[in-house]
Order: sequence, then structure tokens, then C-alpha cells
Amino acid sequence: MRIPKTDPAAASVDMTPMIDIVFQLIAFFMVISNFEQTEADERVKLPQDTLAMPPKVKPENELVINVGFLRDEKNNLPEQGPVVFHGGEFCWITPPPQDCPPAVKVFDNRAKVVRTFKTVDFNYRLEQEKRLYYDRGVNVAEQVTVVIRADSRVPTGLIQKLIQMAQEQFAGSDGSTQAGFAMFALKAEQSGEGQAPQTSEP
Amino acid sequence: MKVRNQKVAEKIEPQMAPMIDVVFLLLIFFMLTLKIIQPEGNFNINMPAVAQAQTETPKLLPDFKVRLIADPLSGDLLEVRYGQRSLGNGPAAFQLLQQLISENVQGSPFADEVEVEIDADFDLNYRFVIRAVSACTGKVIEEDGQTKTVELVGKIKFAPPRQSARVRAGG
Repeated sequence: MRIPKTDPAAASVDMTPMIDIVFQLIAFFMVISNFEQTEADERVKLPQDTLAMPPKVKPENELVINVGFLRDEKNNLPEQGPVVFHGGEFCWITPPPQDCPPAVKVFDNRAKVVRTFKTVDFNYRLEQEKRLYYDRGVNVAEQVTVVIRADSRVPTGLIQKLIQMAQEQFAGSDGSTQAGFAMFALKAEQSGEGQAPQTSEP
Repeated sequence: MKVRNQKVAEKIEPQMAPMIDVVFLLLIFFMLTLKIIQPEGNFNINMPAVAQAQTETPKLLPDFKVRLIADPLSGDLLEVRYGQRSLGNGPAAFQLLQQLISENVQGSPFADEVEVEIDADFDLNYRFVIRAVSACTGKVIEEDGQTKTVELVGKIKFAPPRQSARVRAGG
């Protein structure tokens, strides 16, 4: 018996709604993606506060200083004091071993080994930062804001010493004596509206 | 004039497959690069070095002094003092501090001149200082069912750092 040949019906899928949704998703992710180069450090757990407001006008020049603790592979606080994270180095604010550790142990998640790094003097690096701003023609005392991102458990005295170091005068590359930083901003995480600021250990 | 050989307009069907490939790639890229970060806020403090500060005009009002006493071992807050008055510790102490500062500042013609000096123990956990700074800088009030932030003191500074209790105890 001869079976008559029929063309298989071309199944035409309507792509329009799917493309609509996909474009909407892309637009959503593009809008909420933050491509701004933030110098936030995940190792710093900021204190929380309801009144912490983002600045209305972004400062012209910002020097972000992250002060925090190195956590171990289980995200616990190991017995090593706070350090400044600066340019891939770990720095001390006061000479070790009293308040800051002489060396820190860092757990390398890829190699699954613990590496030890010696801590270095932060004052020297701060001087360099001041000189760099000065060389670029920036008035350190009036045009640069030092943004301090400190962990909620850092001893306050260390932050005060850090501010003192930042305030110190410095010698410009032309040999002149210049005033140090004078504007500071303390960073805190915004806690929810109407929610009381955190009082217990984070 | 009659045009001959008039062709029937062909229906152009755009190739959807490459476009969808690219669109999905973009979608996956944005999904993977998405990093959710908590919004952060600032507390501004203006602290010029002592030599610079001395050149400024003399103040009309003395500084409000807030003293924060810490437990040297844990770094927890033991006591908040406003001038000579003890305010206790915990959230109630900061609320009282906020209330006292608010009473002193609001309605005062010298409100802009007022400066708060925070004098904290070396070992005090930093989060308590932020709470004290927050209590001095402003308060949240409810007005007509809306929350509003009222600014209290704009000038905050720190007293010179104290010595660590561990150092005083000899390590």
C-alpha cells in the first residue's frame, strides 16, 4: 500500500516572550551589578549602625584603610591581632608584638596550606601615600579624606593611633614640611530601618 | 508604467539562535559577576593635627566629653560617662547619651559650635565607639508616620589614645 508522503509540520516556537524575559533579566543584573572599584575588604566585618549614611557628595580623593583580623579556614578569629591590609601586605600600627602581631598566618584555600607572612610598618606606607598625593598637586590636609574601614572588634586605641599617624606632618619630595591628613570618615554598615544597632558579637 | 517581473517580497526570518546564544552568555556573565554587598555609611570626623587646630579661632563653648570605659580583657563596654555623669552601659546608655546631647544642642544658638570629644579606653572594641559617635551625631525620629534623621553634633573628635591596660599590667 502506498503511504502518501506528508511534510512534517514545522514546530514553530514563539521566541518573543522568552527573549522579553531574558532581556529583562539582563537589564536587572546590569543595573544591580556594582562595577565601581570599591576598596572594601571582605576580611573586615564593619560595625553596624542605623545612622550610618552614605556621603551626599563623594569626596574628591579617598584613601581607604582596612583594619581587620585574619580568620582561619573555619572563619574563626585565630590568636593573631589586628592588621592593616594594604597593597597585598599586612601592616602593623604599633610595633609588634604588643597590639599587632609580628607575623600572620594565612590559610591558602587553593593549596590547602597555611602560609606565614611578616607584618610591616604601616607608618612608612602612610608617609608614601601622603607624598604621592603631594606630588600630584593635591592638598593632603584639605582635599583628601581618609576612610577608615575597621573591624568591629579592633581595639579603639589602634584606630586612634592610626589617626595620629595620618595627622602627622610629612616631608614633601621638594623638602618642604606639609600638614598631614585632617579629614576622616569612619565606615559602618547600615543596619535596617528601625532596627536597633547590633550590640552582641557579630 | 507597469512594472514587469515584480517579485513577491520574501519574508526575512532573522536567525534567532546566535542572538539567543549571546543573550544567554550575557545573562550568565551578569549572574556570576553579581556581588551582593551591604550598603555602607560614613561618620565624618574632622581632626586636624594639634598645630593646625591651634591656629583656629578660640571656641565659645567647651567640648562635651564622652568617656567610654572598657573591660581590658574582652574589650566590652563597662561604662559610658557624659561629663561627670555615669550613664551605665548597654543600649540604654547610648540612648540616654543621645537624649542628653539632644537636650543640650537643640534650640541652642551655639549648636554649630558644639564639639564632642570621645575619650575611649585603648582596648574598647571599636563598635562601641561607632555607637557613641552615632549617638552624638544624630537621632532618628518619627514624624507623621515617617522616619526622619535629626542632626545633633557635626563636630566629633577623639581624645589622645590612652595606654593599653595590658601594657600597664606589664604584658
